[in-house]
Amino acid sequence: MLLIECDGKALFEASGIPVPERVVVTGGARPPLPGEGPWLVKAQVPAGGRGKAGGVVFCATPQEVDRALAHLIGRALLGHVVQACLVEQAARGREAYLSLMVDPAEGAARLSFSDQGGVDVEAAARDGGALLTEVCAAEREAVGDAIERLAARLGAQSAAGLRAVGPALADLFFSRELLLAEINPLFLEDGRPCAGDAKVVVDANAIGRQPEIRRLVEARPAVYPDMWRKLNEGFDFIDLDPDGTIGLVTTGAGLSMMLIDELTARGGRPLNFCDLRTGQMRGRPDRLIRVLDWLAAKPGLKVLFVNIFAGITDLSEFARLLTQALTQFPRPDIPVVARLVGSGEAAARAHLAAVRPDLAAYTDLDQALQHVIAVSRP
Amino acid sequence: MISALFAIDRNTPVIIQGITGRMGRRHAALMRAYGTNIVGGTSARAGGIAETPVPVFATCGEAAAATGAQASVVMVPPEDVLAAASEAIAAGIGVVVTVAEGVPVHDALKLKALADASGTVWIGPSTPGMARPGIVKLGFLPDISLNPGDWALLTKSGTLSYEVGYRLAARGLGQSIWIGVGGEVVKGVRFADLVAPLAADPATRGILLVGEVGGTEEEEFAAALIRHRFTKPVLALLAGRESKQGVAMGHAGALTFGETGTLSSKRDRLEAAGAEVFFSLDALAARAAALAPSSNQDQSEERAHGRPAAG
Repeated sequence: MLLIECDGKALFEASGIPVPERVVVTGGARPPLPGEGPWLVKAQVPAGGRGKAGGVVFCATPQEVDRALAHLIGRALLGHVVQACLVEQAARGREAYLSLMVDPAEGAARLSFSDQGGVDVEAAARDGGALLTEVCAAEREAVGDAIERLAARLGAQSAAGLRAVGPALADLFFSRELLLAEINPLFLEDGRPCAGDAKVVVDANAIGRQPEIRRLVEARPAVYPDMWRKLNEGFDFIDLDPDGTIGLVTTGAGLSMMLIDELTARGGRPLNFCDLRTGQMRGRPDRLIRVLDWLAAKPGLKVLFVNIFAGITDLSEFARLLTQALTQFPRPDIPVVARLVGSGEAAARAHLAAVRPDLAAYTDLDQALQHVIAVSRP
Repeated sequence: MISALFAIDRNTPVIIQGITGRMGRRHAALMRAYGTNIVGGTSARAGGIAETPVPVFATCGEAAAATGAQASVVMVPPEDVLAAASEAIAAGIGVVVTVAEGVPVHDALKLKALADASGTVWIGPSTPGMARPGIVKLGFLPDISLNPGDWALLTKSGTLSYEVGYRLAARGLGQSIWIGVGGEVVKGVRFADLVAPLAADPATRGILLVGEVGGTEEEEFAAALIRHRFTKPVLALLAGRESKQGVAMGHAGALTFGETGTLSSKRDRLEAAGAEVFFSLDALAARAAALAPSSNQDQSEERAHGRPAAG
């Protein structure tokens, strides 16, 4: 999961990586500005390409800062609503690029540096630009050696910058179990480098043993709603389309993704992604009730689509939990289409037919999709 | 050695690490019912289990020494996977399947380094496992989706692959081997590692690849097809066309950033390598059926009525 810049910079600062003086503004009264200016006002959304999308504004005066804040906060940017802006002193100096990341293909760590940082560094690298990399064992000591090997390939100022920031970045990467720690631009000036941006991707799987990362997520449920839900509910639910009409009650990440594709290809508008992990429900309907509550709150909801391919889960138990949960569903007017296949299928269908004869039950996925599309039109 | 996967059969001695847990108990019994030669298990708790009357050991070393286990299915919580799988590797077990979802990526990095150094074949994490349908399964691939046949089914997602297997079976098609590489970022066996052994496998007429948005595994696989001059048909289903940038839908590996790991990048590379790419289940199944020389309805009948025939 990608952290917003101000959280990434908080991690940088705690690790000894220099960052500009800054304040986070979430609307309302603006706190005093850091330093003399000029300033950068930066929308805090977890997505790349903010600069090109107009999410970073250079401001020479406090009035310009206020105008930029008023313009950005509450606005949609790159698929996210801007909940906060970072206002920081605009750093100066030559712009370089530094990153340390997990290399999945090699099962290793990949250290990269470029003398030319900035928004186009990835594009420049693809065109055979000046991105230098070292791939090494994913161990702190090996990365230390890689930093030295890379520094030996650089000019004096860049080498000094890499040696000043690289070890702290490596410490952060391993102690917080990061997938990516990227500084772009890394300002190099007078022997005191400074991280102009922070792109930090944390490992959702490691959050249980990374209390500092967990605190960041817990502090911003509105910025990290998906991770917050996963931490607090134990399953995945992601809002996709605020104007969607199809509420998904599904299990399995890959199959749920595929269903979203299949529905969209047929002209449907799924509201959400959902991976219930039915195997963990242990005879309790709570998880289903939570999902149904969230979906009931969506103004565009026209149909619930339940799809469970039960390899191992017993469908007759699932059907019982589903009808239990549906008794509490705040939108009894909404039609329910259930496609159930796998172990216990016959008993599950018998239960649904007896308890909820109005519910459309299918074994065949294509027929179920067709039904969902037909009733999902606004 | 990756070829060890193709040699697993009903004689291969298999242990379950974590056999006395809820999941271990249940799936030891189901694997055994399918024909897998479960010879024992490990557990921190002493004593045996009623469902599967096999010896239970305190450590993997003891289990391997006493049973001659050549493969292990690790059914422990995600935070314990590194320790358990390391123990299996140290005990000299050649094939290790770790099913748990949610293994920390830095643990997976350590485990990959260990597995590579010792030549162990590691499948996982976050996988339903692997099977040679009709013969043996390691993990919890559902019997309803397993059908002996001649397509190698390689998959990231568990549930999506069940759906694909089920559709193939409905059309009388089946699998020569099914390997769930898993949906995580860092893993053991990757799609690309399987190209050379599948090129050489006489039981495999082609590859059905079930991929998804994120990562670069499909792109690596495409490069491997070219590198190994793979000539059998390759059909790929890609999920996640509608996913959002920066959002991992359930699978950590499904995270996209910028232009890396997008579906169009995957499609372009796969098509350039001669694969046919599909974005719907039905289109994939229909194409596989059209390529089939003949239906193998008899086998699917047998599968539907209980224990599959010996392979």
